[in-house]
Amino acid sequence: MLELKDVTKIYNPGSVTEMCLFEKFNLSIEKGEFLSIVGSNGSGKTSLLNIICGSIPIEGGEVRIGKRSIDKMKEFKRYRKIGRVYQNPAMGTCPNLTLLENMSLAENKGRPFGLGRAINKSRSNYYREQLSVLGLGLENKLYDKVGSLSGGQRQAAALIMSTLTPIDFLILDEHTAALDPKTAELIMQLTDELIKAKKLTAMMVTHNLRYAVEYGNRIIMMDNGNIVFEKAGAEKEALCVEDVLKIFTDISIECGN
Amino acid sequence: MKKHIFTILILIITLAVIAGCGSKQIPVIGISQFGEHPSLDNCREGFLQGLAEAGLKEDKDFSTDYQNAGFDPAIASQIAQNFSSANVTLMCAIATPSATACFAAAEDKDIPVVFTAITDPVRAKLDSGNITGTSDKLAVDEQLELIRKLQPDAKTIGILYTTSEPNSVSAIEEYNEKAANYGFTIEAIGVVQQSEVTLAVDTLISKKVDCLSNLTDNNVVGVLASVLEKTNEAKIPVYGSEVEQMKIGCVAGAGIDYIKLGKQTGAIAAKILKGEAKASEIPYEVISEYSIYINSAALAKMGISVPLEVSQKAIEATNS
Amino acid sequence: MGVFLDLVVSTVTQGLIYALLSYGVFITYKILDFPDLTVDGSFPLGAAVTAVLLTKGFNPYLTLAVALLVGALTGLITGLIHVKLGVRDLLAGIITMTALFSINLQIAGSNLIIERTVNTIFSAEPAMALFGNLSLIYRKLIVSLFLTILFKIILDLYFKTKSGLLLRAVGDNNTLVTSLAKDKGKVKIIGLVISNALVALSGCIVCHEQRAFSSTMGTGQVVFGLATVIIGTTLFKKLNFVKGTTAVMIGSILYKVSIQIAISLGLPANLLKFITAALFLAILVLGKLQKGGVKKNA
Repeated sequence: MLELKDVTKIYNPGSVTEMCLFEKFNLSIEKGEFLSIVGSNGSGKTSLLNIICGSIPIEGGEVRIGKRSIDKMKEFKRYRKIGRVYQNPAMGTCPNLTLLENMSLAENKGRPFGLGRAINKSRSNYYREQLSVLGLGLENKLYDKVGSLSGGQRQAAALIMSTLTPIDFLILDEHTAALDPKTAELIMQLTDELIKAKKLTAMMVTHNLRYAVEYGNRIIMMDNGNIVFEKAGAEKEALCVEDVLKIFTDISIECGN
Repeated sequence: MKKHIFTILILIITLAVIAGCGSKQIPVIGISQFGEHPSLDNCREGFLQGLAEAGLKEDKDFSTDYQNAGFDPAIASQIAQNFSSANVTLMCAIATPSATACFAAAEDKDIPVVFTAITDPVRAKLDSGNITGTSDKLAVDEQLELIRKLQPDAKTIGILYTTSEPNSVSAIEEYNEKAANYGFTIEAIGVVQQSEVTLAVDTLISKKVDCLSNLTDNNVVGVLASVLEKTNEAKIPVYGSEVEQMKIGCVAGAGIDYIKLGKQTGAIAAKILKGEAKASEIPYEVISEYSIYINSAALAKMGISVPLEVSQKAIEATNS
Repeated sequence: MGVFLDLVVSTVTQGLIYALLSYGVFITYKILDFPDLTVDGSFPLGAAVTAVLLTKGFNPYLTLAVALLVGALTGLITGLIHVKLGVRDLLAGIITMTALFSINLQIAGSNLIIERTVNTIFSAEPAMALFGNLSLIYRKLIVSLFLTILFKIILDLYFKTKSGLLLRAVGDNNTLVTSLAKDKGKVKIIGLVISNALVALSGCIVCHEQRAFSSTMGTGQVVFGLATVIIGTTLFKKLNFVKGTTAVMIGSILYKVSIQIAISLGLPANLLKFITAALFLAILVLGKLQKGGVKKNA
């Protein structure tokens, strides 16, 4: 489904601060997989997501969706098939627009933004229905500016918005990291339910090892641009947090952290 | 919140009412001056003297409302509208932008406009309608003749001007036309804004012009002092076109006395106020008298000796 | 009282004409979060083109459309310089503005004046047939009011379309626009095009009103626009039912009124800019105090 083949990523090429992160990096993700990615800071997790989305260029190799290379495809065009939720709840919504306007924007993804009316009042009920699943009372805040909502509410709204239209991939970039533990738990559960209900292929970067172990059907650990640990299917089911934590600490000691 | 808005609105209305109720029974002359620099100030002073000489006394026969726009065309137009709304008896506009603004604002009410310090009223399209005034047309012939007498060997005259000033453009045309009669060629450099003037001076100096001759270009006159600094260093004499320029340090010039020009303007305004003639019936007047001004100190520095025939007629321009 | 009324009418007219420029700055500065300095060039461009067309005997109403068009073009150029060539927003505007200074003079030749015999939008046929019995200053008021309200309505309607909503989203959070699979650069260009079209239109009407084009008439217009946008949006921050366009329109009128008061009070022109700055600061502080007040209440 998604394949990274011999990807090379060099930061600041040609300068004294040149840093090679990936050298001939390979990773492939099958349709319907829910992949959790863990690793210490600077291990290349977020760079990996950015490479897939086209936010940063690569120096070698290629990224393919299906059989097609998307290297030449501009960032915004890749998002036709990708939904992304960021660590910062502010990134996924427009704070000065109302929730209704945000939902309308999200629902129109993939279609032209022409001179038709942006807000279709008759869709309000559908939005309410989608939002009520969250159990955060957002269904009653359609006319509130999103900026006035709490971080958790905004992140929940961002999650709903990114999956409102049919997409192939859902990319979760430490999307629970900025939330309090209780809200984070709730958002994580919602994410899992959404992925299952909509049968999405998902990649989740997280620092929360428990989430990485509990959710999804495949886990990889990254270090210095390499995959150092990988488990999938039944093997992953058998994994417990302590196992992962031990490997994680071992790597960190090796690196002198 | 609403309270704030209302406070502001009430404040505005009160102020405007106070401002609006100041009108008196005697005729009011609205004087709109484009900005403050010595030549334009002299125009205004002369204008008031001209009215006095015609027997009209300020605060008895007329009152004035003087405004200057600080060289901002948008302010000039608000000033003009202010005059028009206040139904002044007559508008006196000093310099072209103020004159066009006044003329536009007076369109409906047909308030007479008397202008001064406009070099080319025809080009500025201020030559027909309920408008008249005085033109400070440059004394190009007299100037060229003077330069020839003071610098018998000179060949090239450099001139700086602003391309967007109609006054300057027509003056350059005249210089080009007449220079050959006196054996000169003209090296004119146009600028679009004041900051480019000093750069243009460098260019003129590098082209080895024998002297510079000044117009009444507002941008150039505004930075004349720094122009003179450069030319003095290069030992190139600069001729002025108006007494104030000689006071700053130009060597000599056949120029207009703006006080005189103002007086002439005041006399026209007096005719209109007295009802002797309408502005539309009076053709604009071009100043007919020019004087030769010299700055002996500046001439000596350049090593130019003044022939007797010049020094006899010349008036020494010094800062007194 | 008639004197006072005339003064108010002509000052409000000025405010209305310049409100079109304020709409433009509102779009770039407030909605797109793009400090666009093109305005100092596109404003006189509207006037230059208008002055030339009027002296050549074109229908005065046609100049409105032409000004919109050439203004749009300047916005497009700034947008392309910024988006396609990757030049920073502020610099892209400066480049276009600087080039326009020469272009404006090239178009107009030099400062131009339109003779009284030439009809303007305030004195040509449809306006005369409708309001010919009114004096010129009232005709100016009505025509300006009509145009300013017309474009306010068009803009308000536009902001409610999908394209308009996307425009608002770009200034608010451009990452989201990318996530929506839309080219944020293209959306910015659309905003700049609309903005500068309105700015040039404002310049066009000023030219009709002043019967003149001057090469320096654009200087300081960005600052004016920013001031009116900030005055308007700060004063009406707490009133959600007041639309942004209405707020900046009132901001523009207030600005011109305060200048007029300063002139009426006989304050020297050299001080006018200082007064503007003081007014600016006062409004900003006023806005801050309000915010503080709300916090206390919450």
